[in-house]
Amino acid sequence: MESEKSFDLQIPSVLGFEKVVVDFAVSVGKIIHLPADRIEDLKTAVAEACTNAIEHGNKMKPSARVSVSFTIEESKLQVAVQDEGTGIGQITPPSLEQTIAGKKERPRGWGIFLIKNLMDEVEFETRPGRWNMVRMVVRLQE
Amino acid sequence: MTSLVVPRTELSREAHSGMFLHAGAQCIMSNDIEVTIHNQGDVAIINIKGDVTAVTGEAIEEAYRAVCLAGSTKLLLVFNKECYINSGGIAILVGIVSESQGNKQIIRITGLSEHFRKIFAMVGLTRYTDIFPSEAAALEGF
Repeated sequence: MESEKSFDLQIPSVLGFEKVVVDFAVSVGKIIHLPADRIEDLKTAVAEACTNAIEHGNKMKPSARVSVSFTIEESKLQVAVQDEGTGIGQITPPSLEQTIAGKKERPRGWGIFLIKNLMDEVEFETRPGRWNMVRMVVRLQE
Repeated sequence: MTSLVVPRTELSREAHSGMFLHAGAQCIMSNDIEVTIHNQGDVAIINIKGDVTAVTGEAIEEAYRAVCLAGSTKLLLVFNKECYINSGGIAILVGIVSESQGNKQIIRITGLSEHFRKIFAMVGLTRYTDIFPSEAAALEGF
């Protein structure tokens, strides 16, 4: 597609480097004139996806890479975050009520919860033994 | 007036190569948080400045334990507007709010940006805490 533009970057699996991707996401968001609140949504979703990739996907192994691609299309911005892990499997959505009821000590899954709630579309894809990816979409306003 | 300062600094030094960093470059990533406690009347005010994550959130948990030991039942969490809160930090706050329910404590919150007010509502924290636009408003009638 002629109007499609894409950018790729890679970070090592070290916590803190997700902020490099977040800064990049802010720049992309500004270029395509995303509203300020959508840029904030994008920042949080990108940070969570990268943190999951670093911590759970690549198990904090610094040499393992997290690859991130931003694709700007006519009607949407797509961000794909890929790690070298095997996926995190099914996680029960976290619940504050269950935590209060003492059913869950420190529930996992708030990162994925935030990604799903802040982005317009979210897909997870895993190639066992090869890679794991989360693809997120922000729809652009007319 | 009592005051407790709980600083947390996590530094990791790694040589990385990548899009933004040339091979062999020295890099320092830091995650800082500063948590202070003071009392105003019978309200324990916990000021939080910096990144709220799973690692730094321990400083907030420590502060919470300190105000519990002091017997406080009214807590005000004051976030700095620049606070970055990720899912690990959300999990810490969920834990504190959960514990406060059992301890019959009332928690009020202020200083959040619009984005994090939205996120606190999304995860359900606003069902158990009240969020105020300013510290003065939060203290009024508390």
